[in-house]
Amino acid sequence: MAPAKAEQQQPASGMTLIVTVGLAIAFLLFMAFLNVVKNGNLLNESNLLFAALIFYSGAGALYLGFGVTGTESYVKAASIATWLGLAGNTAAVTHRWYEAGHPPFASVYEMLLSFVWTLAVLTLVAEKKYHVKVIGTVTMPVAIVGVVLMQLLRTDVHPLVPALQSTWLHVHVTLAMLAYAACALSFALAMMFLIQDNMKTETFLTFTSASTLAIYASVVLTRFEKWGGLSLAAWNPENKAEVFISKGVRLFVTIPDLGWVMVLALLAVAAPLVFCGVARCKNNNDSFLVLANRAVFLSILIQVMALVMFLLRARDGRYPSLDADGLFPTSLAASPFILSALVGAIFISLLYLLLLWRRKDLETLLPSAVELDRITYKTICLAFPLLTLMIAAGAYWANQTWGSYWSWDPKETWAAITWLVYAGYLHMRITRGWRGRRAAYFAILGFAVVMFTFFGVTYLLPGLHAYA
Amino acid sequence: MALLPSIYFVDLCGAMLAFEHYEQGEDMAVESLGIARKTWQTIASIKTGVVLLILVVILAAAGTIVLQRPVTDPDEMQAAYSPHVLRILDAVGLTDVFHFWWFLGLLLLVSACIIAASVERFPNSWRYFSRPYKYPDESFRRASHPQKSIPIADEESGLVAAQRALHAMGFKPERIVREDHFGIFAERHRISELAVYIVHASLLLIFFGTIVDGFWGWRGTLNLNEGQTSNLVELRDGSTRKLPFAIRCDSAGQDNYKDGTPKKWWSKLAVVQEGRDVKNKEIVVNDPLLYKGVRFYQSSYGQNGKVDKLSLVAVPSNGSGAKQEIGLAVNDTVALDSDTTIRFAEFIPDYAVRDGQVYRKSNELENPAAHLVVTSKSAGKNEDKDKDKDKDKDKDYDVWLPAINGVADNSKSPYLLQATDLKMGHFTGLQVSHEPGQWGVWGGVVLMGIGLAFVFYVIHMRFWVVPVCDPKTGQYSLWLGGSANRNRDAFEQRFNELVTTVEAELKDIPKTSRQEQVTSIAGH
Repeated sequence: MAPAKAEQQQPASGMTLIVTVGLAIAFLLFMAFLNVVKNGNLLNESNLLFAALIFYSGAGALYLGFGVTGTESYVKAASIATWLGLAGNTAAVTHRWYEAGHPPFASVYEMLLSFVWTLAVLTLVAEKKYHVKVIGTVTMPVAIVGVVLMQLLRTDVHPLVPALQSTWLHVHVTLAMLAYAACALSFALAMMFLIQDNMKTETFLTFTSASTLAIYASVVLTRFEKWGGLSLAAWNPENKAEVFISKGVRLFVTIPDLGWVMVLALLAVAAPLVFCGVARCKNNNDSFLVLANRAVFLSILIQVMALVMFLLRARDGRYPSLDADGLFPTSLAASPFILSALVGAIFISLLYLLLLWRRKDLETLLPSAVELDRITYKTICLAFPLLTLMIAAGAYWANQTWGSYWSWDPKETWAAITWLVYAGYLHMRITRGWRGRRAAYFAILGFAVVMFTFFGVTYLLPGLHAYA
Repeated sequence: MALLPSIYFVDLCGAMLAFEHYEQGEDMAVESLGIARKTWQTIASIKTGVVLLILVVILAAAGTIVLQRPVTDPDEMQAAYSPHVLRILDAVGLTDVFHFWWFLGLLLLVSACIIAASVERFPNSWRYFSRPYKYPDESFRRASHPQKSIPIADEESGLVAAQRALHAMGFKPERIVREDHFGIFAERHRISELAVYIVHASLLLIFFGTIVDGFWGWRGTLNLNEGQTSNLVELRDGSTRKLPFAIRCDSAGQDNYKDGTPKKWWSKLAVVQEGRDVKNKEIVVNDPLLYKGVRFYQSSYGQNGKVDKLSLVAVPSNGSGAKQEIGLAVNDTVALDSDTTIRFAEFIPDYAVRDGQVYRKSNELENPAAHLVVTSKSAGKNEDKDKDKDKDKDKDYDVWLPAINGVADNSKSPYLLQATDLKMGHFTGLQVSHEPGQWGVWGGVVLMGIGLAFVFYVIHMRFWVVPVCDPKTGQYSLWLGGSANRNRDAFEQRFNELVTTVEAELKDIPKTSRQEQVTSIAGH
C-alpha cells in the first residue's frame, strides 16, 4: 500500500494543497475566460456551469485532502470554493428558469441541475450548522459527477408538454427532491453511525465490494454481447437523441472487446470480496485481510483503466449493430447511466480507502454514535412526512391529468414501496425500540429503495412517468 | 447486533411508557384466552403487520417488473414471454397483480391488521390520555430521566419557585394534593399521544376510498367529433356505459409552441340534459369538466380521418365557361351547371391500389384520395347516340383526386377538377371517470398530513415537581422530573432551563415566601 505510506511520511503541510488547488482553479478559469472572450458570450448557461464545475472540483479536491489528512485549514478554503461554485450554479439555475419560463424540473438535465444545487446547499448547511465537515468529501465528488453528466445530456430548453403544465408539477417535484435529499442524508448518517459504532473495517469492505460488484455485474449482465462486445445505445448527433427502431425500442451498437474489459473489472472488484470471505472462514486470518485490501487497491486501478477505455471508445465513433446492417454512431450522452455507474463504483472504492487509512481521524471528526443514531432518526422523521406529501401531491396531480389518483404505474408503486419501508423503520423504532445497528441497516435499505425508485424505475421500468 | 445499551434503556423507560404498556398488555392477555382471542392478538401484533407489509412490497415490486395485462398489448405479452410461462403468470395473477383477488385480499388484511392493532392499543393510550399521571411515586422517580434534586429550605418555598418557573416557561402548573403528599404537575400537547391513531385512521380512510372506487367507480373513454353529441362511454373492459346526460363537443383544438411541439389541447364541451345545455366548459389537460360526479379529462386530440370540407376548382373541359370554386363535405351534391352535378362520394385518408381497386390502407392522413362523382345528363345524349332507350339515363364519371390510373376517368369528365384545400375534421379524446371514493382519499390525505405533523412535531412534555424530605438528615430537597414522547435531547435542554430558572427563583424567594403563600391561597 504505497500511497498510504507516502501519505503518512508527508507531514500535513496545510498550504501546499490549498495553493495547488487555488492555482489550478485560477488557471482553468483563465483558460475558460480566454475561450469566452473569443466567443464573446460570457453569461450563458454552459459557461456558468463550467465555472461551477471548476470551483466544485477545487472544493472536492480540498475536501478529499481534508478527509485524508485531517488538516482543518483545507475546510475553510474548500467551503469558500463551494460558495463560489454555488454562486455559479445558482446563476445557471436562474438563467435556466428565466429562459425556460418554468422552474428547472422538467427534464433529466434540469433535475440534475437542481439536484447539484441542493447538494451544494446541503453541504454548506451541514458544515456550518452541524459542523459535519467531512461531508464535503462525499457530496462534492457526487456534485462533480452531476455537473459532468449535465454536459453530456441534451440541454436545449424544452417547452412543457401539456401534462406538465400544472402548479402541482412544482409542488410534487420540489417535495420529491427534498424527501430524497433527506433520505440521502439519513443514509450518510447511518453509515457514519456504523463507523462510530466500531463496526469492523472489513465489514465495510464487504459492503463496498458488494455494491461495486453489483454495479459491474448489472453492466455485464445487461450489456455483454458475444464475443466480448459491449452494447450501448446508438446516438443521433444531429437530433441529439437516441435512435429508435420502433416505438420504445432503442437501437444498440456493439463496441468490440469493451465487454472483456468490463468482465476484467468485474473480476477485479469481486476479488476483495472473495479474500474477505476466505478471511472470515479462517477466523479473520489477517494475511487474507491484507490481501483483500491490496485487491481493493488493484481493483481501483483496473476500474480507472476500464473507465478510461470506456470514455475513449464510447465517446464517439461508429460501431456495428446486431439489429441492423451498417455502422451507427454512439456517444457518451447515449449511456449516461453506465458512465455514472462506473464513476460511482470508483467513488465507492475510494471511500473505502479513505476509511481504511483515516479511520482514527474520522472517528474524532464525527459526532458520537448516540448522537448520529439520533440525527439519523430525526432526518427520517423529516423525510417521511415529505415523502407522504410528495405522493399525495403526485396523486392529486395525476387525478387532474390522467383521470385517476392511483394507477399502479411503476414509479407510483415504487414510491409507495419506499414509503412502506420508511413506515416500517418508524414502527420498528418506536414500538419495538430498534436502535443502533438494526436501525442503521434499515435506513440504508430505505435509501437503496429510494435510489431504485429514482434511477432504476426511470431506466428499467418505463411507464407513465416518462418525463423524469 | 449491538443495541446501544444504557442510554437507550433509560430512553425507553422514560417516555416510551405508553408503548411499553402495549407490550405488557399483549403478554398478559395471551395466557388466559381462547383461540378467537389469540387470532385477534396475532392480527394485532406488529410482527403480523410487518410480515404483511413485506408481502405487499414483494408483490407490488413483482407487479412493476412483470408486464401487466390491461396496459400491455396481448401481442407484446406473447412476444415477451413463452406461452408456457405466460400461462403460469396468468394463472397466479402476476400479469395483473394490482387487480387480482389476492392482492386486494392482502390489502384488506393489512387494513384489518391496522384496525386490530389500533383497537388493541387504543384503550391504553386513552387511559394515558384521559387520566394523566400527575404524581410520580418513588419507583418512577428513581427511573425517571431527566431528573434533578435541588436543596430547599422548606417545601412551600420550593413549590412556589417551581410554579413561577413553569409559568415563566409558558406552562400552566397544577398543584397536586394527595392525602399525605403533594407536588406540581405541568404538561403540554397531551393530544400528541393520540396522533398515531389519527395517522392510522387516515390510512384506513384512504383504503376505504379506494375500495369504494374499486366497487362503484368506473373509467372509460369517449371520443367525440366536433359537433357530435354522445352519452355512451366505452369502459376499460370493452363494455359500454350509458350516461344519464350527454356530452357535446363544440370544438376542439391543439395549440403549438413555435418549435411545433404541442402546447395545449382544448375542447369546448357542453353537457346536454333533456335537450338543454346545462353546463359549458372549455377543458384542457389538467383542468377537467366535472358534472354529477363524472369527470371528463382531455386525453387526446387528433384527426378523425373524416373530411370537414374539400375545396375544389372546377373548369369545363371544353374550355367554354368560367371556372367555379366549390366546397364539399362527404356525400354533398352540388350542381355545376343545369345538366351536371358533382357528388363527393368517398374519402380515403391513406389509399393503396391493388388489382384496379382502391383500398383504404389506414385511417392516418398519409396518402389521401377523394372520390368524386360527376353526373351529366347531356353527356349521356352525346356519347350513346344509338342507345335511344338510355337517352334520359345519367352518365357518371368517377373522378379521383389525385388521378389514379386505371380507376379514374378524370379526362373524360366534362369538368376538370382541382383540389385547392382539404380541411379535416377533428375528434377530441376524453377520459371519463367516476370515482365516488376519491373524497375519502383526499380526506385521508389531509388527515394524514395533520396526523403526521402531530406525530413528528407536536411533543407531549410533562414536568413533575415533588418536595422530598431526606429521612436521615431531615434536609428538604425539591425533586424535578420531566418527560417528552419524542425529540428528547431538545427536551433535556428545556429541562435544564427549568432547573436554572427554579434555582434563580429560589434565591429570591426566602424573604417573601410567607406573603407569597398567603396571596396564592387567597388567589385560589
